[in-house]
Amino acid sequence: MSKRLLSIPMALIALSCLYPLFFALNNALKTNKEDILNRFGLATSPTFENFTQAWTRSHLSDYFLNSVTATVGAVLLLMLLASMAGFALAILRFPLRHLVFIAILASLMIPVQVVLVPFYKTVIAFGLLNTRIGLILSYTAFFLPFSIYLMTSFYAGLPRELTEAARIDGARFWQVWWFVMLPLGKPALITLGILNALYCWNDVLISLLVLQDKRTLMVGIAALRGEYTTNIPLLSAGIVLAALPIVAIYLIFQRQIVNGIATGAVKG
Amino acid sequence: MSPERRTAWAFLAPSLVLIAIFRIAPLIWGAQLSLTDARGITPGAFIGLENYRELAFDPAFRDSISNTILLIATLPVWVCFPLLLAILIHQGVPGGRFYRATYFFPAILSSVIVGSIFNTLLRRDGAVNAALKLVGIAPTDWLGSSHTALLSLIAVQLWATFGMSLLIFLAGLSTVPQDMIEAARLDGARLRHLVWFIIIPALRPIIEFVAVVTTIGILTSMFGLIYVLTAGGPGTSTTLPEFLIWLELGKLNRPGYAAAISMVLFALMAGLAWAQIRIMQRNADV
Repeated sequence: MSKRLLSIPMALIALSCLYPLFFALNNALKTNKEDILNRFGLATSPTFENFTQAWTRSHLSDYFLNSVTATVGAVLLLMLLASMAGFALAILRFPLRHLVFIAILASLMIPVQVVLVPFYKTVIAFGLLNTRIGLILSYTAFFLPFSIYLMTSFYAGLPRELTEAARIDGARFWQVWWFVMLPLGKPALITLGILNALYCWNDVLISLLVLQDKRTLMVGIAALRGEYTTNIPLLSAGIVLAALPIVAIYLIFQRQIVNGIATGAVKG
Repeated sequence: MSPERRTAWAFLAPSLVLIAIFRIAPLIWGAQLSLTDARGITPGAFIGLENYRELAFDPAFRDSISNTILLIATLPVWVCFPLLLAILIHQGVPGGRFYRATYFFPAILSSVIVGSIFNTLLRRDGAVNAALKLVGIAPTDWLGSSHTALLSLIAVQLWATFGMSLLIFLAGLSTVPQDMIEAARLDGARLRHLVWFIIIPALRPIIEFVAVVTTIGILTSMFGLIYVLTAGGPGTSTTLPEFLIWLELGKLNRPGYAAAISMVLFALMAGLAWAQIRIMQRNADV
């Protein structure tokens, strides 16, 4: 009985989690005039005009492309580097192994805010300002430690016999990585790829600094909010377009996302 | 050098170079910069702790610190609310899987998206006030009044992140031995006894972890939300150190001063992050 009663507040909280995005979608389907007259009512005669305007005239299509390039590039690089580093730290034996692992984890202590000024100067010094490759490298540098952590703990959980058997068969160490560890690491790599895709896609601070004249989608949305303070339906259309890929990824990969988050706290 | 060592260093090199260039070197550079009076692009002279002394008397900085303290004071809510929901889901409230997926949904959205939506909801001529007007309640300027702006920011951030803590708690709850709970239940223990005497003691390391991660989040991951929801205002009422660094960088004329604020943030962060790293290292048992 008491469980039934608890369902009411829990359902209300669930509703509150879904409503804001629905609210934005509903707004996006209104005309500006309708929205001013009726802030939260349902759209009476839905129109897609706002979506086309946001996509073309407000340049969201360009920003979208910038975000896709940066996200895909960074995610691929992160998967490659984290798999290599995780293999080295978990499987190979070399002096300073523990120290390197701790040093990589310790760099988690340096979020971008803490190094904002010198990081910005570094990006300029390497000629990476306003380049997509600069954004890709920046994302990789900032999301790498957690990814290496994830891959190291995954590989550390595999039986050592796998490596030894391959070595006895005459495989070199890089071949053990390429032919044994990379395929075996697939579940962890997928988790890591999805999580990093979320982080890169959703980032605003790093792209605000590195890609100033091109803009990623999130920076574009933030700018749209400043430029069209009176046109809520147009802004809402932009919000829905920016959220759409993430919502799709969540619906498809919910299990991996949920498990990946849990691994950070409890050994998965 | 043996082939094993050579491979190890070759495989680690690209990662270490990236981390060194974009994180570690900038940290050292920033520490050095914070001791100079650098203006614009000209490298400044060494002025010792002058920037830090000035910070101590900067009203904007002092406000950002007191806002941070206020935020951290609400930490129990950030921990207990998702913990309670996680326990209810774990104890088999009907529809638990749906709730888990739904509660986590806001956490996948960008802070820019969350901030923009809540801006349209909470602004003076927004939907919340329009709804309140219908039932005859006078509108409140949720984001524009210094009494409610910080509270609104906290509420929106809590909404956007509680699903993350909930997931971590659920993962922790799955390691609590179920037979212990069953045995206690057969002995006639009520849910609140179970929670107090079995679940919370068993979850202690996880609760610590969530508290640490949440505090780090309060210090370093609110930029996006502040940027679109309140822009730090009105006045300095929603300015946090990380946003202040951004504002100082935007002025571009005093990199040394901005770097000094960064160093204070780093000092606040370092102890917390170290605790988090110890927990992660323990869990990875490498």
